[in-house]
Amino acid sequence: MTHDPFTVLGLEPRFDVDLAAAEVRHRELSRALHPDRYQGKPAAERRMALERAIEVNAAWRALRDPVTRAEALLAAGGVELDERAEPKASPALLMEMMELQEELAEVRGKRDAAGLRRLGEALRTRERELCARLAPAFAAARGDAARLRALLPAVGELRYLRRFFEAYAAAEEELAA
Amino acid sequence: MGLLEIFDPVAAPRPIGIDLGTTNSLVARVRDGAPVAIRDCDGEALVPSAVYYDERGQVIVGREALRMAQAHPRETIVSVKRLMGRGASDPETARLGTIDFAAPTSPDEARTVRLRVQGRILTPVEVSADILRRLRELAEDEMRSVGGAVITVPAYFDDAQRQATKDAGRLAGLEVLRLLNEPTAAALAYGLDQKKNGLFAVYDLGGGTFDITILLLDDGVFQVRSTGGDSALGGDDMDRALGQVLLEHMGAADDPGPEVVRLALDAARRAKHALTDREEVALELPRVGGGSTTATVTRAELERLVAPIVERTGVACRRALRDAGIEASALDGVLLVGGATRVPFVRRYVRDLFGREPLADIDPDQVVALGAAIQADLLAGTGSTGEVLLLDVLPLSLGIETMGGVAEKILPRNTTIPAGARQVFTTYADQQTGFELHVVQGERELAADCRSLARFTLRGIPPMPAGMARLEITFHVDADGLLTVKAREVTTGIEQEVLVKPSYGLSDEEVERMLLDAIDHGEEDFERRKLAERRVEAERMLIATRGALAADADLLDASEQKAVEGALAELTVAVAAGSATLVQAKIDALDDATKEWAGRRMDRAIARAIAGKQLDEVDATVAHARGVDEQVAEHQARLPPGASPSQTGTGPTGEGS
Ligand SMILES: Nc1ncnc2c1ncn2[C@@H]1O[C@H](COP(=O)(O)OP(=O)(O)OP(=O)(O)O)[C@@H](O)[C@H]1O
Ligand SMILES: [Mg+2]
Repeated sequence: MTHDPFTVLGLEPRFDVDLAAAEVRHRELSRALHPDRYQGKPAAERRMALERAIEVNAAWRALRDPVTRAEALLAAGGVELDERAEPKASPALLMEMMELQEELAEVRGKRDAAGLRRLGEALRTRERELCARLAPAFAAARGDAARLRALLPAVGELRYLRRFFEAYAAAEEELAA
Repeated sequence: MGLLEIFDPVAAPRPIGIDLGTTNSLVARVRDGAPVAIRDCDGEALVPSAVYYDERGQVIVGREALRMAQAHPRETIVSVKRLMGRGASDPETARLGTIDFAAPTSPDEARTVRLRVQGRILTPVEVSADILRRLRELAEDEMRSVGGAVITVPAYFDDAQRQATKDAGRLAGLEVLRLLNEPTAAALAYGLDQKKNGLFAVYDLGGGTFDITILLLDDGVFQVRSTGGDSALGGDDMDRALGQVLLEHMGAADDPGPEVVRLALDAARRAKHALTDREEVALELPRVGGGSTTATVTRAELERLVAPIVERTGVACRRALRDAGIEASALDGVLLVGGATRVPFVRRYVRDLFGREPLADIDPDQVVALGAAIQADLLAGTGSTGEVLLLDVLPLSLGIETMGGVAEKILPRNTTIPAGARQVFTTYADQQTGFELHVVQGERELAADCRSLARFTLRGIPPMPAGMARLEITFHVDADGLLTVKAREVTTGIEQEVLVKPSYGLSDEEVERMLLDAIDHGEEDFERRKLAERRVEAERMLIATRGALAADADLLDASEQKAVEGALAELTVAVAAGSATLVQAKIDALDDATKEWAGRRMDRAIARAIAGKQLDEVDATVAHARGVDEQVAEHQARLPPGASPSQTGTGPTGEGS
């Protein structure tokens, strides 16, 4: 049912997808499908183009974000995505995230812009490292459900980082205002 | 009046672009491949967005209306754009001004601001339609026949404000081809004219609204990276700040009448303009109770007053840069748009904020309308710039209210449009047949702090035990930035009826009624208008289908081709007859006969776009062709941890039997 973003954009499914190539593909497809191209066309055709343009935009959005990109690869391999059924995060990760939360609360309280920037940098480095580990792991799994399932904890970690990024962005906004 | 001019045998209808501004409006068109502003008989292009209503129901728009404002402050409506899509108790109604607001007598009436003018009640949509009608007339004077319009809106306009603008266009008898974001329009005109590539920021501070847009220009592609702004921030607020000070000089600070307020605001604006070129200005002002006084205003004093207003733009700019994931130093240029960017303080502020001198080779008054004209030309298919592609974004996050009043985001701000999302909900009462969904727009965590868009009520859910019915709700945001919602029960596949109750603005029926009122002969003309509209759609389909037959007949088998040609012939006959219902029926039949073929043709277009010359890849892509039904963008309902799906609804509508 779910439309695999790699298929929609006609790209090879891999975690370390070439984002520049994906962007070019998104543009080419948009050129063919954007509602602007269907002005004055019959209603059915307009509707169809609209839905496909939406799909193409959603695919591009999904590929840009490592979390949704990983989820797309899992789903394509037949791994059911249900956060509640997934393995619980390790105590070590939970502990680390809690400490990060506290640190964030502290720099937020002190309105410490430099501290916040450092924290953001650390987060981005952490995400980069995780992605660098995941790329070969996804490639090695070759779409096999059992081997993909073994990656769930790492993908879970990516999600934790994502949520933390959101809290970080909110703090950044607060400090900028 | 109000009729679409369609079958003018003399002049082919030509599309126009309209900048419907808070202070000034402008209509433009493409002539000989270049966009030009349309001027009135005095050679003026800018039409002040002022509307005067006289006691006999006569409407005057523009410069002449502005001249009436001093003597008739209550009957002359200015800056109506600030009221578009807003509710009766909006803070804007409490700001310094001269409009006589009518208190709503029912919750339904409270969905829109109502103005009392000459004993009549008017909505901002109707006043805007009067401005648009004037612009349409100007265009018709020059071009005879107008064939559709692109109307610009502030990028930061929400769904209600956009819908109101579109309603105004309809009411003015215009076919609204597209709502185009003002900064994007400016970038389009500038980028095509200067053949520029790179990352640009468009800083648009007009009379009533502020937008910041970061976009990438790349060989005809205009890709918006992020946008932000404030739809109630502009030169008007500077005038109010200074006007308040002037009222004190006049000894009229408490409860001044509309004449006095008008005078103070006009004097403030004149002073503001003068201080753009001068350090000091002396104003001769009347005093309450007789006599007059001379007030001297210096540029420094004005700057002290406008600083807090201008600084609010900085917050939005920094956020837009963050959302685009770039530092100001990565920009290749900053474009200034809007009359209020002439204020020296604003220029200085923008320069400091972005660390560079803004580009000067741009006409801040006309560039938006010129961009709209280019887009209109492209949409009408008359434009030659086939490589142009505008990729714009949703300015404010869309969310649904969940249990506990939290707004769960379904589409984040700065998502490229058109965009879609899909969520699955379950019923939580046995035999529940109704379901209500509250959609909000904004960035705040609680739904109550966001802007309420609409409540959607689903009816006719097949009665099942709690948790069994699965409702799949599809949200679409189209290229105008407007939201539509569809719902389907998954197990039975039944499409649900969705009743929309917009939180702000006019309902479809209200707009219809206004349209009818605008037509002298009521019903009869209404029928004629409907027939004319159907005929246009039919002609469009005939041309498109014949073109498709010429290009892609190979994608049809013999019996399909016969069916298409049959439907084509029947529609041709129906157009010549005089019934809107018949034309519609034949349109639907042709629609049906061509549906699958349209899908195949689209796949071919996609394959060509992807592959260019690589033919083997074309086939691979065509192989990916899927059914229409599945082509909806998907947004997996991802619930917050711990929440169960059944908690996510906003309450049953109590229709369980
Ligand atoms: N020379 C000037 N110095 C200062 N301000 C000016 C000058 N010229 C125009 N303005 C201000 O610019 C504003 C109007 O700008 P513009 O015509 O771009 O707005 P608009 O397009 O009607 O509004 P919006 O885009 O917000 O809907 C007014 O507030 C006006 O006072
Ligand atoms: Mg403007």
